[in-house]
Amino acid sequence: MPSAFQFQCHLVLIFLAASKGETRYLEVRDAGENDPFLLLSEDLKRELSAGQIYRRSLREFLWCSGCIDMLSIEGQFTFTANQPQLHCATFFIGEPEELITIHYDFVNIDCQGGDFLKVFDGWILKGEKFPSSLDHPLSTSQRYVDFCESGNIQRSIRSSQNVAMIFFRIQLPGNGFTVTVKKISNLFPCNVISQTPSGRFTMVIPHQHRNCSFSIIYPVVIKISDLILGHLNGLFLKKKPSASCAGVGDFVELLGGAGLDPSKMFPLADLCHSFHGSAQMKIGCDNTVLRMVSSGKHINRVTFEYHQLDLQEAETRKENSIEEFCFPSI
Amino acid sequence: MKIPLLVSTGILLVALLPCQECRALSKSPAPAPGALHQPDFFQQQQRQQQQQQQQTLPVLLRMGEEYFLRLGNLHKRPVGSFSASSSSTSHLQPEASASNFFRAAVQQLQQLPERSPGDREDGEAEGEAVEREKRSEEPPISLDLTFHLLREVLEMARAEQLAQQAHSNRKLMEIIGK
Repeated sequence: MPSAFQFQCHLVLIFLAASKGETRYLEVRDAGENDPFLLLSEDLKRELSAGQIYRRSLREFLWCSGCIDMLSIEGQFTFTANQPQLHCATFFIGEPEELITIHYDFVNIDCQGGDFLKVFDGWILKGEKFPSSLDHPLSTSQRYVDFCESGNIQRSIRSSQNVAMIFFRIQLPGNGFTVTVKKISNLFPCNVISQTPSGRFTMVIPHQHRNCSFSIIYPVVIKISDLILGHLNGLFLKKKPSASCAGVGDFVELLGGAGLDPSKMFPLADLCHSFHGSAQMKIGCDNTVLRMVSSGKHINRVTFEYHQLDLQEAETRKENSIEEFCFPSI
Repeated sequence: MKIPLLVSTGILLVALLPCQECRALSKSPAPAPGALHQPDFFQQQQRQQQQQQQQTLPVLLRMGEEYFLRLGNLHKRPVGSFSASSSSTSHLQPEASASNFFRAAVQQLQQLPERSPGDREDGEAEGEAVEREKRSEEPPISLDLTFHLLREVLEMARAEQLAQQAHSNRKLMEIIGK
């Protein structure tokens, strides 16, 4: 008898853990889907990864009066100035579920002479930041980490999302720096810039009072296939949905614009009721953002697909297209 | 038999009742609204100083945050593409009010009462806050890059990533083939 009661108690505890936990919202990928290395034995892994760190010099991709480069892989990267470089930047981007860490291996710049090397948590373009100031936990000044001020103490910097960038000015030829870039996984990605004009993503905000944006810097057709706002927890029944989204705490909005900052973009659609099945929209803007606003009371989830919009096709077939809000790109 | 059944029923009812505070089994600690999420982006000393400054100088930091937003958001309403000429003219407007703002901020700072036990610390913290306000007059560093060019370098980075992946796959096949 006691053992039967214990068995019942165990069952109850397992049921509690299963119903309260959030593990059902995690999508565990198959081992071989993205990383074939997981299928290898330890010996083979060691042989393959020994001395395999990727190295190259940062490009001086000349633009106007400066230089830019973009990195989407891990490795060790060196910049040595061949000529005075006054306006340089390197963008870092990872997969949506990755965070970027930048470690200063070697820095040889003249801070007193006006050189600088700064890491920015996010991307900033023409004064517009991603994530916006409203969606980022740090203030704008805190998002810049200046090597000349704190480099001797803080050699490693981790981003809050899948994008980061560095700005640098090096006036003396021969000076430069070396950084190591690594990626670490982020369980619940919040603010994301897509590396590709097509893809599929599920954004989950589990009981967090925060706003998360997914940005695609291309004109796209976006199809939302699954939206869950709020969580049917046991005996609770949802309130009857109202006609509009006004006053609703949790919702998803689609934004379009010509800049990077989601807070300066045009709202194109609001979705504040859960649904299954697809809702498609063509957005001919330079930047398309899907933004989820979450009160923290619920677990919210949205799944969507997107692919690049052929602007010629959009002109001939005007269905749900919102091109008139966006200016043509230069 | 009855007692275990009652206990099980009681546990089930407790589990299913609303419990907003019960976060023991949730994975991520929900941050309080407005609280700063502090990852490894800050060193310990700066974080402590920030907290100290938050406690002693709440008005100054709030105004500082608003000030940064005004400099960064040169256009209050979205108007589409960002032209260099409009950005330069918009710069003139906040600059005129920037000096007045800074003077008002310093006056606020001087009016705040000082605590007796940490007088010296407060003085240093206030000095640092004033220095930060001076640095806040500079616009945030950014590039005037078009989306077209950004997409070009993004595609170059993507091609580099695919090439590296292809290289890794080739090495993998060589090892497996042995």
